[in-house]
Amino acid sequence: MSDDLSERLETYLANVMGIPDLEVASLSRIPGGASRETYRFRARYNRDGTEIERGLILRRDQTTSLIETDRATEFRAYRAFHSLGLPVPEPIALEEGSEILDRPFFVMEEIENCQVGSILSPDPYGPLREKIGRQFFANLGRIARADVDEVGLGDLEGERDPAKCWLHEVDRWEEVIDEDEREPQPIARAALRWLRRNPPPPAPKISVVHGDYRTGNFLYDADGDMRAILDWEMAHLGNPLEDLGWAIDPLWSHGDPSRPAGTIPREEALSIWQKESGIRLDTAALAWWEIFASLKGVAIWISAAREYADGRNMDPVNAFSGWYCLAFHNKVLADRLGTA
Amino acid sequence: MKPEADQILMFSAIKLASEYAPQIPTQYGQGMAQVVAALMFMSAQEYDRAADIRASENADMRALFKLLAPQIADAGLRRDLETAASAREESLRVSALNASNEHLRKILIRLHAHLDETGADTRPVWDVLKAMAARRTLTLPG
Repeated sequence: MSDDLSERLETYLANVMGIPDLEVASLSRIPGGASRETYRFRARYNRDGTEIERGLILRRDQTTSLIETDRATEFRAYRAFHSLGLPVPEPIALEEGSEILDRPFFVMEEIENCQVGSILSPDPYGPLREKIGRQFFANLGRIARADVDEVGLGDLEGERDPAKCWLHEVDRWEEVIDEDEREPQPIARAALRWLRRNPPPPAPKISVVHGDYRTGNFLYDADGDMRAILDWEMAHLGNPLEDLGWAIDPLWSHGDPSRPAGTIPREEALSIWQKESGIRLDTAALAWWEIFASLKGVAIWISAAREYADGRNMDPVNAFSGWYCLAFHNKVLADRLGTA
Repeated sequence: MKPEADQILMFSAIKLASEYAPQIPTQYGQGMAQVVAALMFMSAQEYDRAADIRASENADMRALFKLLAPQIADAGLRRDLETAASAREESLRVSALNASNEHLRKILIRLHAHLDETGADTRPVWDVLKAMAARRTLTLPG
């Protein structure tokens, strides 16, 4: 990796952390989402006579981004839920200017000796799947339970009227499809009409919605302990069922929709979520949010396809998302709505 | 040509994923190489079926338009349905089939919206959409 990037990061961190002798070493890029470049590095410094070496993560904006996201939102969400005791990395520093590293970025703690599940894997968690699944849905319930003002995120983007937050999200993602589709999308258009014709009941409460809570966006260790919830870049205010619908979407089920996220049976997952969130689940409302989740997926994958096809971002993940994931979610929507 | 392009893509994907990617020194490079291998695997599937998918979709949409056009009161939409239903492919190149496909999809969206608005039976449209979605589904390696 560029020594220049490493040196500039070192100077910046020494300044903001107030540690003049801080050294940055072993900076290397790692896979980590389509909206930000992700790098791992070691920070070495002396504190009160003790040599400290700490693994940190740099998340820098891409030159182009799949979905426009605010890195300040992501940073604040890390801070809020880290403080609340959820498995979330400690955020260290946020830089919104482009003078230091050419683009805005933030730095956070690296959660070491962990792995991430891949949707390419038929069984990413093996014998750990039930243990991981129970934590996965419990932590999602805790996010839903959090009071948005008490965690300091009451001003996040989103709709605070429980009766209108569904419409806010449908409008948002229809706009993305309008802007980014490169070919007519009859299934997405039909789904949008269906969602508008069949509105869900008002939200049981307004929560922080993670926005992309799924397989691939959390780390777990060899004992099956969930250690880090990542990628809060789409966090917003809204109906907590939005996150639940996304988390149980068939795309993340590794071929077995009866075990959402490739982990535990659906009924157990929903029961854990209800207990931890304190929200009584309305199954008809959840059904609406499941349709919405697949439509939201379609919108995201259309954006990915657009970025790739226009040559703005040739990351192969964009090609995969814009092809495999789009085809997958179109089928989910057609099968669900075509038999409704 | 033997080997065909799909076999070349498939075997290259296997070599990339199993032999070359693990030798890339960085985690980022290894991860991206695995994604590229998956894309090659998907491209191998698409090579054999691409023209057939598009030609089948276009034929299904034209048949649907022919079936439903007589029931449509909107004169402009009915005329577009009838015109599209009577057209034929001029080339089997994927780019040409895509151009027809996009034109037909636009009309399909108008038709479906019209049926939704008038409360008419949309099952024939959904049958076509389900078949379209099923044909385009891809299988992942492993």
